[in-house]
Amino acid sequence: MQGLSSLGSQLVDLCSALLLLTCFAIVAQRRLSACVDLFALQSAFLVVTAALVAYLTGNHHIYLAAGLTGVIKVIIIPRVLKKVIDRLNVKRELVMHVNVPTGLLICGGLVMLAFFIAQPIIPLGSLLTRDSLAIALAIVLIGLFTMIARHQAVSQLVGFLVLENGLFLGATAATYGMPLVVELGVFFDVLIATLIAGIYTNRLQDAFDSVDTDRLTVLKE
Amino acid sequence: MLNLVWLLLGGYVAGIVLPFCLPGRPESRRLTSSVAAIVATSAGIVLGILGLTSSEPVTGTLASTIPLLTLSIRVDPLAAFFVFTISVVALAASVYAIGYLQHFEGYASTAKLGALFNAYLLCMTLVILADNAFFFLLAWELMSLLSYFLVVTEHEKAEVRYAGLFYLIMTHVGTAFIVMAFLIFFQTAGSFSFEAFRHPEQPLPEGMRTLVFLMILLGFGTKAGIVPLHVWLPYAHPVAPSHVSAVMSGVMIKTAIYGLIRVYFDFFGGQFPWWWGFTVLFLGATSSLLGVMYALMEHDLKRLLAFHSVENIGIILLGIGAGMIFQSYGLKELAALGLLAALYHTINHALFKALLFLGAGSLLYATQTRNLEEYGGLLRRMPWTGSFFLIGAVSISALPPTNGFVSEWLLFQSLFLSFQIPTVFLKLMLPIAAAILALTSVLALACFAKAFGIAFLARPRSMHARRAEEVPAPMRIGMGILATLCVALGIVPMVVVPLLDRVVAPLAEISITSKVMAIDGWALAPVNVEFSSLSTPALALSLVALAMLGLGLAVALGGRLTTRHSKTWGCGINLTAHMQYTATGFVQPIKRVFSTIYQPTVKLETEFLHESRYFAKRRHFEFHIEPIFEKYLYDPLLAFFATLADRLKIIQAGSLHLYLTYMFVALIVLLLLAV
Repeated sequence: MQGLSSLGSQLVDLCSALLLLTCFAIVAQRRLSACVDLFALQSAFLVVTAALVAYLTGNHHIYLAAGLTGVIKVIIIPRVLKKVIDRLNVKRELVMHVNVPTGLLICGGLVMLAFFIAQPIIPLGSLLTRDSLAIALAIVLIGLFTMIARHQAVSQLVGFLVLENGLFLGATAATYGMPLVVELGVFFDVLIATLIAGIYTNRLQDAFDSVDTDRLTVLKE
Repeated sequence: MLNLVWLLLGGYVAGIVLPFCLPGRPESRRLTSSVAAIVATSAGIVLGILGLTSSEPVTGTLASTIPLLTLSIRVDPLAAFFVFTISVVALAASVYAIGYLQHFEGYASTAKLGALFNAYLLCMTLVILADNAFFFLLAWELMSLLSYFLVVTEHEKAEVRYAGLFYLIMTHVGTAFIVMAFLIFFQTAGSFSFEAFRHPEQPLPEGMRTLVFLMILLGFGTKAGIVPLHVWLPYAHPVAPSHVSAVMSGVMIKTAIYGLIRVYFDFFGGQFPWWWGFTVLFLGATSSLLGVMYALMEHDLKRLLAFHSVENIGIILLGIGAGMIFQSYGLKELAALGLLAALYHTINHALFKALLFLGAGSLLYATQTRNLEEYGGLLRRMPWTGSFFLIGAVSISALPPTNGFVSEWLLFQSLFLSFQIPTVFLKLMLPIAAAILALTSVLALACFAKAFGIAFLARPRSMHARRAEEVPAPMRIGMGILATLCVALGIVPMVVVPLLDRVVAPLAEISITSKVMAIDGWALAPVNVEFSSLSTPALALSLVALAMLGLGLAVALGGRLTTRHSKTWGCGINLTAHMQYTATGFVQPIKRVFSTIYQPTVKLETEFLHESRYFAKRRHFEFHIEPIFEKYLYDPLLAFFATLADRLKIIQAGSLHLYLTYMFVALIVLLLLAV
C-alpha cells in the first residue's frame, strides 16, 4: 500500500507538472488557435490527474468530474473557441502588454511565489496529492497573468479557462474534490461563461472590427 | 397553533402562485389573490388572539441547508400583538383591493400586483414571527424589496421612479445599521438565534451596548420614519397603490417599532441608562411636532397622510421613550404604563391611518387626483367614503369616543406621572414632552379639519369632483371594517388593556391590569381614581346624550326645521367654487405663526391689462415651504458622496487589463500577507 501510494503520489505530481508545462507553452504561444489546442491538451492532462486521484482514493464521484472535464473542456469549449476564431480577422497576438520572454520570466517568478506560499501548508497535509497544491496555485496565477498580458479577447478567455483548470486541480489536490453538486455547478458556470464570452467576442468583432479589449476604453465617458 | 401558522403561510403562498396559474378573466384573478390573502389574514388574526391569550410562547423550527440560517419562529405575546395588527389591516386592505384594482386594469398587471401584495404581507408577518436574526434580516430585506416593487407600480412616471429609488436607498442604509447591530450581538452570543441574543454567554461590554442602541435606533428609525430619517415617507407612500400605502403606512413602519421594543426591552432585558430613553423621547417629540407641522402645509392628500405617519410614530416613540426612562429608574409600573400606551397607539394608528389611506384611495379612484384643492362637495356624492373618512379623521385627531383618544390619554397620564422620577432634569422634560404632545394633537385636529372640510364640504372645486361617484362595495367594506374597529377600540379599552398588559408584562416584568382598571372594570384609572380616571362608555353615552340634547333644544326652541333653498348673498356677484375657502387659505395663520420653521417663500405675479393698471388680467400665486432636512442634511451628504465618487473615478480607467491587474496585485499581496 505504501509503495502504491508513493507511486501514485509521484504520478499525480507528474501530471500536475505537465499541466504547468502546458501553461508555459500557452504563455509562449502567439497563435490563437494553437493556444486553444494547448488548452485542450492541458484539460486532457487534468482529466488524467483527476482519474488518477479517483483511482487511488476510491472516490468514485471524481470519475464523474473527470469525465465531465473531458467532455466540456477537451471537446466542447475548444470547438466553440475555434468557431469564434474562424470569424476573426486577426488570428494571432501582434502586440502584447508584456513580450514573450519577459512573460516567461514573470511566470517563472509566479511559480516560485506559489511554492513559497504553499510551503508552510504542504507538510501539514497527509493527502497523496499535497504537492499539487502549489502547482495549482501557480496555474491560477499564470492564468490570471495571461489575461492581463494579452490583448485579444480569445486569449483572455483561454487565460480564464486556464485559471479555472488551476482551481479544479487545487480542489482535487486539497480535498479530493468538492462535493459533486458544487462541481457540477462550476462546470455549468464555466460552460456558460465560455458561451457568453464567445458571443461577446463576436459582438466586439462586429462593433470594433477587432477583438482587442484595449479598445473598450473608448466606452468610458 | 402551528397549524394556524401553516394556514397563514399557505394562504399567502396560494395568493402568490394562483393568480398566475389560474386561467381566466382579470376579475377572477383579482378575486383569487384577495381571497387567498383574506384566508391568510384571518388565520393571522386568530393566531394573534391565541398568542395573546396563551401562557407559553409557541415555537417552531425548520432546518435549512444554508449555514447559520434556521427557519425558526416564535409566537410570544409581543409577536402575537403585531401579527394581529398586521393581519387586521391587511384583511381590510385585501377586501378593498378587490374593488380598487379595477382602477389599474389595463396598464398594470393585476395578477402581478396581487401576487406581490401577498408576498409582501407574507414577508412582513415573517419579520414578526422570526426567532433568528438571519431569518429576520432575510424577511426584512424581502419585505423592503417587495414594497419597493409595489411602490413603483406606476413606473412610467418619473416622479414614481424617483420616489422608489429614494425609498430603496434609505431602506438599505437602515438595514445596514440593523445588520451591524445584529453582528455585534452575534459576536458575543455565538449564534444568530434570538434566544442566544437574550441570554449571551458573556454580557456585551458597555461601549458595545451603546453602539448597538444607536445602530438599532438609526436602522429601525429609518424604516419607522423618525425625523430626520423620515424624508422617504412623503415620497414613497403617496405614489404606491392606495391599499399598499395603507399597509405600508399603517403596519410596515410598525415593524420597526416591533424591532425597537424587541431589542431594547427583550434582548437588553430593560437594562439601560436614562439617556437612552431620553434620546428616544426627544426624537419622538421632534418627530411628532415636525410631522404634523409639515402635514398641515401639504395639499396632496396622500402626502399629508404620510407626514401624519411621521407624527404618529413620534407619539408612539414618546410612549416607548417614557417607558424606557421609567424602566431605567426602576419605576416598573410606570414603565409598563408608558409601553402600554405606546402599543395601544400602535394598533390605533395602524387602524385609522390605514382607514384614511383607503379613504384617500377612494377619493383618488373617484376623482383621479390627489390634490385637495380639486375636491370639494364630495360628502353628498360619496356619503359612505365621507363618513368613514370622518371617523378616521376624528380618531387621528384624538377625539372621543374613538380609539386615538384613549391611547393619547394613557400616554398623557404616563408623562404626567414623571414627578416620581428622582432627577430634576427629567422631571422637567417629561411634562414638556406632554406639552408638545398636546400641541401636536391640536395641530392634527386643525389639519384634519382642513382635509375633511376642503375635500368633503362646500361645493365641488373641479370637474373631477363634480363627476365623482361612490366607490364599489368591496372598497366600502374594507373601509367599514377599519372604521368599526376604530370606534370599538375607543369604547372598550377595558377589553384591550388587559390583552396589551399580557404583552407588556414580560417586558416590564410587572402586570398592571389591576392597577390601570378601576375596580368595577368599566373605567381606566392609572395610579388612582382621584388623580385621573376615564370611562369611555360613559363618555360615549354622554356625547350621544349631549348631541340628542342639542338637537332636542334646537327643535324645542328654534322652531322651524324645514330646509330653505335660496342663494347665498354674494355682494351681487355670482358665487363660484373658486370663491370658497381653500386649503392654502385655511393654513395661512399657522404658516405665519410658525414661519421660522417653515421658512415659506411666496411669489405673487400679476399681469395687468395693457389699457389700465387697475385691471388684472392674470394672477399667478406660488407658495413653497423650505424642505429643511433635504436642503441642509441630505443635499450636502449627497454632494459629499458625489465628490468622493469623482475622486475614485481616477482608478476607474475603463481598461479591462487594468482591472485585471488590480485583482492580480490584490491576490498576490493577500497571499503574501497570509504566509
